[in-house]
Amino acid sequence: MAKARAIVKRLKAVRNIKKITRTMELVATAKFKKAMERALEATAYTRKLAEIVADVSASLGESGEEGAVSHPLLAVRPQVKKRLLLVITSNRGLCGGYNAGVLRVAGQLLRSRDLTVTLDMEVSGKRGINFYKFQRQPLVRTYTQFEDKPTFAQIEEIANRIMDLYIAGEIDQFDVAFMQFQGIARQKPVVETLLPIGNLESESAVSGTEATTDYEFLPSPEEILGEIVPASFKARLFKCFLDAAVSEQVFRMVAMKGATESANDMIKSLKQRYNRARQSQITSELSEIIGGAAALE
Amino acid sequence: MALGDSLRLTVVTPEKPVIDQVVRSVQFPLADGMTGVLPGRAPLIGRLGYDELVFIDDSGESRYFVDGGFVQIAQNVVTILTSSCRPVSSLTRDEASKVLDAALARKATSDNEVSQRQKDQNRARRMLALADQ
Repeated sequence: MAKARAIVKRLKAVRNIKKITRTMELVATAKFKKAMERALEATAYTRKLAEIVADVSASLGESGEEGAVSHPLLAVRPQVKKRLLLVITSNRGLCGGYNAGVLRVAGQLLRSRDLTVTLDMEVSGKRGINFYKFQRQPLVRTYTQFEDKPTFAQIEEIANRIMDLYIAGEIDQFDVAFMQFQGIARQKPVVETLLPIGNLESESAVSGTEATTDYEFLPSPEEILGEIVPASFKARLFKCFLDAAVSEQVFRMVAMKGATESANDMIKSLKQRYNRARQSQITSELSEIIGGAAALE
Repeated sequence: MALGDSLRLTVVTPEKPVIDQVVRSVQFPLADGMTGVLPGRAPLIGRLGYDELVFIDDSGESRYFVDGGFVQIAQNVVTILTSSCRPVSSLTRDEASKVLDAALARKATSDNEVSQRQKDQNRARRMLALADQ
């Protein structure tokens, strides 16, 4: 009896775990949809921003001042002495290879960099923080306030501080390691360089279809472009966080789906084993009774 | 829509589009003062200040607070890009004065910091003024 009972206990445990993973899957699905909506809504802003950039630079180009935009955030420093890396991980686990993926690309950068360059690290998310604590990697700053709904105000604060650091010359390059969301079935851990801003118009939305409208600029195209640069940096950083939030939910969804399926398989095989154990127990009990009765005769 | 007698206003923040509707007229703050727009306005790209956005549609007047950003006007569509846009009625005196106190108390050592602080103070004062209305 002992063996069958042990299996029953195990079976119960697996069923309970299955309930949890199934629920987590559903929660992740709901959160994913919301995060996805937010990410989509945010694209309206970046698209419009790119449009304005295109219009402004078109008019600058016309007036013969090609590349007249100079902004401290656009300037590429000839020698990079100090870099800042922001690693975006999640606060909670149970999301498959999400954190491992991001930490892997960050680790690659950490190992492959030129050792004469100092690299400061900032990490968002408890998972990453604990990982680097274990690795004894000093972290300049850590954030744990970002859950599945990062707000622009939160990001703006970070962006402003980083821009100040960059303009003051305390850092020469700023990278972000995060899970890029390329589609529901495709996410990729990447390290993206946000500062210096390489190309303002790199965003896909810029197309030269419309003939340029003759705009009136208030105050002047140069000044507007100068003001757009920080806005565009903020929008990009915000997009990194939104991407990370969406990817996290996708990974959790997939991981929990796998876990639920595995639990189902396990329940099946445990049930089989239990039935066998029960059967053999009954058989042995029967044969004992028959044996006992035969001995009495 | 593209005809000269109607105007469409869209307000977009990095988080989401806030307003998208047909209006009769719009007033918004440019970097150097308020300006008004009626249907048929010539194309414009401008930098916004921190102040009140007022638009009039069939149901009357609506007032919002915009937090800097840019405006683009083309073909009777006014697009406002701002980091935040909220109804003036949601501004409270407490919140605004907190922002102002923070801006006043901040230490600024470089030129950049001083001008940033000045900007924040002006913004907070506008918020306060609007909250008091």
